[in-house]
Amino acid sequence: MEPILQVKNLTVTFNAFAGKVQAVRDVSFDLNRHETLAIVGESGSGKSVTTKAILGILPKNGRIESGEILYQGEDMAKYKEEDFYKIRGKKISLVFQDPLSALNPIMKIGKQITEALILSKSIERSKAKQRAIELMDAVGIPQPEIRFDQYPFQFSGGMRQRIVIAIALASNPELLICDEPTTALDVTIQAKILDLINDIKKTRDLSIIFITHDMGVVANMADRICVMYAGKIVEVGTADEIFYEPAHPYTWALLSSMPDLDTKEKLFAIPGAPPNMLAPPKGDAFASRNKYALAIDFEEEPPFFKLSDTHYAATWLLHPDAPKVEMPEILAHRIKRMKEKEAESND
Amino acid sequence: MRNYILQRLLATVVTLFIILSIGFVVLRLMPGNIFEGYDELTPEMLAALESKYNFDKPIIVQYFLYLKNIILNWDWGLSIKLYPNMPVWDIVAQKIPVTLYVNVYSLCISLPLGMLAGIVMALKKNSGVDYLVSFLVVIFISVPSFIFATGLQYFCAYKWGWFPIIYDPSAAGMAKFISLVLPILALAFSPIARVARYLRGELAETIGSDFMLLARTKGLTEGQATLRHGIRNSLVPLMNIIIPMFTTIMGGSLVVERIFAIPGMGNLMISGINTSDHQVTLATLMFYSVISILTILIVDLSYGIVDPRIRMGGKQAV
Repeated sequence: MEPILQVKNLTVTFNAFAGKVQAVRDVSFDLNRHETLAIVGESGSGKSVTTKAILGILPKNGRIESGEILYQGEDMAKYKEEDFYKIRGKKISLVFQDPLSALNPIMKIGKQITEALILSKSIERSKAKQRAIELMDAVGIPQPEIRFDQYPFQFSGGMRQRIVIAIALASNPELLICDEPTTALDVTIQAKILDLINDIKKTRDLSIIFITHDMGVVANMADRICVMYAGKIVEVGTADEIFYEPAHPYTWALLSSMPDLDTKEKLFAIPGAPPNMLAPPKGDAFASRNKYALAIDFEEEPPFFKLSDTHYAATWLLHPDAPKVEMPEILAHRIKRMKEKEAESND
Repeated sequence: MRNYILQRLLATVVTLFIILSIGFVVLRLMPGNIFEGYDELTPEMLAALESKYNFDKPIIVQYFLYLKNIILNWDWGLSIKLYPNMPVWDIVAQKIPVTLYVNVYSLCISLPLGMLAGIVMALKKNSGVDYLVSFLVVIFISVPSFIFATGLQYFCAYKWGWFPIIYDPSAAGMAKFISLVLPILALAFSPIARVARYLRGELAETIGSDFMLLARTKGLTEGQATLRHGIRNSLVPLMNIIIPMFTTIMGGSLVVERIFAIPGMGNLMISGINTSDHQVTLATLMFYSVISILTILIVDLSYGIVDPRIRMGGKQAV
């Protein structure tokens, strides 16, 4: 599969009063055509910043220090603001986390959908309304003709997220970045929005980068998963590999702390707090919270160890000289149960 | 909407009635007598004068007579001292245009200039331009308008001779405007600064909002996003300060008119108070009240035009 987007050794920093915050450190990943790549990590792990860097919408104090973002044979990391005008909305669109604040409260919904199309002259004014109504219909807004002339405050949260998706789809982009699109919605609506995203992915041949901290959401969406911690990718693999054969202690911890229906034991919580990114720790950033940490974890950053053609993890535990460590029992049990269920449903 | 406007107009009438009543009583309670110092008046002459202006009757009777004349005949009484025996309404009607001219012009130039400065500051937030303009804003807000008036008069009119030192009542058209430029400017400085400072804050916040980011990710340029999404959203709170701003201009105009010898309402009110010519004072008071209340009304109604949430609040759909 050819990658549609390649991020290579991306490093993003923010200038703050206290110094330089190293939000994204040497991150590399590929997005293949027609796949959903999930980027998973806790708050502050740099997952949103990575996507903002891709779209050139970093806050003013943010800066790409080094690295490449290859798209259509060009390096977007070197783009100026004007260069992004032909990309944003037209090739790559973003679905926001909070639909309640993402829509302009005093502009009619229809106008917000058609605005970019009309301004970029990609559609005639007279046909714009028709186009908007089709889009609203496609994202599951009932009575789109009436809704076209309404304001955001007349829509519920889930409906607004559908509108945000419609806006993102307006110019037929080929790449959709979803930045925690369901975090602000309640659980029943979440499922519907996720279904919608999966639907439009199929009908419109989209490639998707899906950012979330919710492993449960990832399971429904992702083809491949990147796990991020403290601005770095610590493990990457297909969804099956990450869920069934996780190798990095941080991935173990994330999966162990995910609630499910069958777990009887007390849910695992990761001790401590993420490191201060003004001065990231030497070695493996997760080491101080990791009970499996080796002495070298505090000294030297682990490289990626290859587990399969698609599965890599950055942990010294995979080094041939490392002591043999098993994943936590709670997780091993859970994976066993999941596999059994899978087998049952396949019978 | 029509019901709302009617309600508000009714409330306006009630408010004005209350202001008139309080004003009437307070002015009568002020120490001093309009005939004080005229020692040549005999007691008979004094009695005749007092009976002519109803001063011999109890204050409550005076009040109702005054009210009756206004409501039935639009008769605001006679000026006694400033323009002896001239109907107050005629005096006022003659003075209103020049006052409105000065005040409305200051408002009209201060809104766009203030907004421009505010937008520049918000877009260039924390840059040299921002700091410079912010510094000027603090000065313009804290220095009262009559200081500017005196300064402008001294430098622009007296020293450099660009403009006439005082207002020339016989001028018309462009000449009239030129002779009023200095007072208009003096009154506009503080509102410009207020609008700029307020809009900077509002716009800087709006620019950081998610919907501005969405506007950019859907393909708008930064300028388009600011113009189409940022500014209009910052206008709603700006409406809030237009009311106190216009009354500030009016208040400043009381003194500034004096400095430039503009025969307007501000000047008239001060003369009225100084000479205990109560009928005149009361009429000017009513003029200022009407203007303030109308401004509030217009601003309240315009919220709905800018913000659909307010316009449609009554008939929330779905």
